[in-house]
Amino acid sequence: MRRWARVLVLVLGGALVAIGIEIAHPGSPWAPLAMIGGAIAAGELIELKPPLRAALPISFAFMVVLARQGSVQDAALVLVVAELATFLVRSEPTSVEGRLALFGERIVEGLAAVLVYHGMADALGAPSTSKLLFALAVAALAPILIAEIGRMIRERDASVTAHGRMADVALVTSATLMAISAIGVDGNSGMGLWGPAVFTIPLLAAWYSYEHLEVIRRTYDQTIRALGAAPELGGMVRDGHAERVADLAVALGGVLGFSRHELAQLETASLLHHLGQVCLDEPDDGRPPEPLAVAEAGATILRGTQLLAPAGDIIAAEWMPHRQSISSRPSVMSGQILKVASAFDELSDGHLERAALALEALRSAPEYLYDGRVLGALDIVLDRRGLLDDQLC
Amino acid sequence: MSTQSKIRIAVTVGCIASCGFVALAAFVAPHSLSSDVVFAFVVFGVLAVAATNLDVIARASIGMSGSVMIFMAAVVVFGEYSFFLGPALVGLLCGLFDVVHLRKREWDKIAFNCASDALSLMGGTAAFFLIAADKPIEDPFILTVAVAAAACTYLLLNAVFVSFPVAISGGDQYRRVLREILAFNVGAFPFALLGLGLGWVYLELGAAVVPLLVVPILIARSTFASYLELKAGQEQTIETLILALEAKDPYTAGHAQRVATFSEYVGAELAFGQRRMERLRYAALMHDIGKLVVPNQILNKPGRLTEAEFERVKRHETVSVELLHRIDFLAPVAGDTTTEAATAAVDGTDLIEPAIIHVADAFDAMTSTRSYRRALSQETAFAELRDGAGTQFNAACVDALIHSIERRGEQYGAGHEVDEHEWAVAPPEAGTGSAGLGHLVSEELVPEEQAAGS
Repeated sequence: MRRWARVLVLVLGGALVAIGIEIAHPGSPWAPLAMIGGAIAAGELIELKPPLRAALPISFAFMVVLARQGSVQDAALVLVVAELATFLVRSEPTSVEGRLALFGERIVEGLAAVLVYHGMADALGAPSTSKLLFALAVAALAPILIAEIGRMIRERDASVTAHGRMADVALVTSATLMAISAIGVDGNSGMGLWGPAVFTIPLLAAWYSYEHLEVIRRTYDQTIRALGAAPELGGMVRDGHAERVADLAVALGGVLGFSRHELAQLETASLLHHLGQVCLDEPDDGRPPEPLAVAEAGATILRGTQLLAPAGDIIAAEWMPHRQSISSRPSVMSGQILKVASAFDELSDGHLERAALALEALRSAPEYLYDGRVLGALDIVLDRRGLLDDQLC
Repeated sequence: MSTQSKIRIAVTVGCIASCGFVALAAFVAPHSLSSDVVFAFVVFGVLAVAATNLDVIARASIGMSGSVMIFMAAVVVFGEYSFFLGPALVGLLCGLFDVVHLRKREWDKIAFNCASDALSLMGGTAAFFLIAADKPIEDPFILTVAVAAAACTYLLLNAVFVSFPVAISGGDQYRRVLREILAFNVGAFPFALLGLGLGWVYLELGAAVVPLLVVPILIARSTFASYLELKAGQEQTIETLILALEAKDPYTAGHAQRVATFSEYVGAELAFGQRRMERLRYAALMHDIGKLVVPNQILNKPGRLTEAEFERVKRHETVSVELLHRIDFLAPVAGDTTTEAATAAVDGTDLIEPAIIHVADAFDAMTSTRSYRRALSQETAFAELRDGAGTQFNAACVDALIHSIERRGEQYGAGHEVDEHEWAVAPPEAGTGSAGLGHLVSEELVPEEQAAGS
């Protein structure tokens, strides 16, 4: 079943339950709660995915509406039923354990929104527009905060991006308006369920934009990797060389304190560092072309583009003689990393058990050839990966 | 004075007159200017001007039409104040402060935009008043129906008006342009409904809460702008890379770009949607990427290839498909481009994209000079495509390409090549490697004196 079919099933499920309740007990407060439960269940499948942060399901916004609409007990019951429905319908995570973990996480996040709202409402006293907006905004922040902390613990990464923060703002402002528009400031007016429906539109617009951004980013990354694999498919380089070099170079850059942006450029350069080879004439004697010529040809191609020009600079720097005085420039340092990572892969030939030998060979090279700091970082990375144990020494 | 200039002057005068009429009517109308109305006019005027100048104009299935949202909110708010001409005045103000036209001093366009916005909004407001007049704002169902009717009327009238200058300036058929603009305006409908929410927020919670709704819209817009920026950057990167890599074989310079263009022609004839068209263009640009693995000496060899060399050239097709399969977006269209598959492809059942690229590739190959022969004429290429339709090429794609090029009045091939070639060994008029076209060339293209000499 496709995602939108699942969303439709969950929304219609909520609507049917609401209609059933309305027929059996006209005017019951459970009918709108059932509709909101359906929206929470469906909203779990529509996630804002800002880069480098936890995905934010738009159900977080409906949780705030639920918090405003029902008591803590009622809201908790609706939340559990809604999350159970999503648990049964969702396709990701594929494993039952993964889905159970997500189910538990969402229950905690939803309960946090409900408890924070009711706690704030009790503390702030008589409702006014400004107090209500404040309480709703804080309640909307609670599940976001828990999701983000969960991601940081899982990924051991505390960094966030501007786009990530903007998604938070979109979710908090929309959730606030959705909750307030449903029953107004006094709890007896408002637009009814039309309100949350209408104020979902900005979130859907944000979701649409993030989806497109994610697709284009992925396509770009895959295009670079495909281009990087071309020399391998042509038999000019060993299989997997570019990917292995990129992986090692990024790890080395990480040890040397490179920023996220510099690591991205280094990875691109590593993936494409043999691209120049496809433009060169094959030497008549069957030997591979000179590395310097390959690097220069590749750098020339990449420097012709706006996005890949920095990667071109790194490739050009790969075969510059290592000189301490100028190696503080990011592209030069990245070039030195690329040279070490590429040489290491050629020496180890992709066999992990040869790591220590390859490292020793690099250390034995003339001092001017490889940057000592990069070799030190290589030592650390290989040690962390457990590749230096019981070898050679 | 040319006819176009006369039309432009007449339209400008008509627009200014319409704007003057709306403004005058607003001032002489009963119940006009209370402090609430003036304040609402300032708020929505400022918001509409800001939204118009921030709108993301994209050929996408959805437009980030903030101005439509503001207009509909104005309809709701001025509806509550029973000020019929309020939204039209907001539209007038919005057209007046379009920074792009102001900078270029395009007064005729400014006059037209003012008039079309004001008149379209008058139509929308009329629809709203017909349904929601004297109804309480607390009735959300009536309000939703009224706003939906207002939005439909506004978007329809806007398309009817805007299609006129677009059709005249582009030399297109009015109905065709109207259809396109209507399709674009449909994408703005959800934002029109959001105007209902904005109007409600303004009336119930006050103007100070309006930013809460504007912020997520701005965020969505900013993210969408990032997407468009990255997409443009990626396209430029791919095109530049391909141009650089085409330097391996000077005879195929610009080939990928032209195949992409011809593929788009066919896609447009087959009524492809925007996303499918994007994928087709991208796949066409990358269709020869496997040529990277063919050594330069072989690609530029003027004479006959040895069997081993021919095998290395043939391998580029496999590599192209393998590389395209590594890109999720292109994998579905990185299908089999063999003759059998390309002929069998039928839109709706099998993906027809590889068949389109196959035809576009063949047409460009025939109408371009290669190391083994000079370019053929367009007529010869068309004849060859028609002969191969149903056997070598997909018939629907052949018809679509020929029809599209003829409709555009474009000419390719011998005598119409854009790039000037300089070659060490001049290619023959026809060669042994000319894709089986030697018989056509020998009959049609060999100069008379040569034919007489032989």
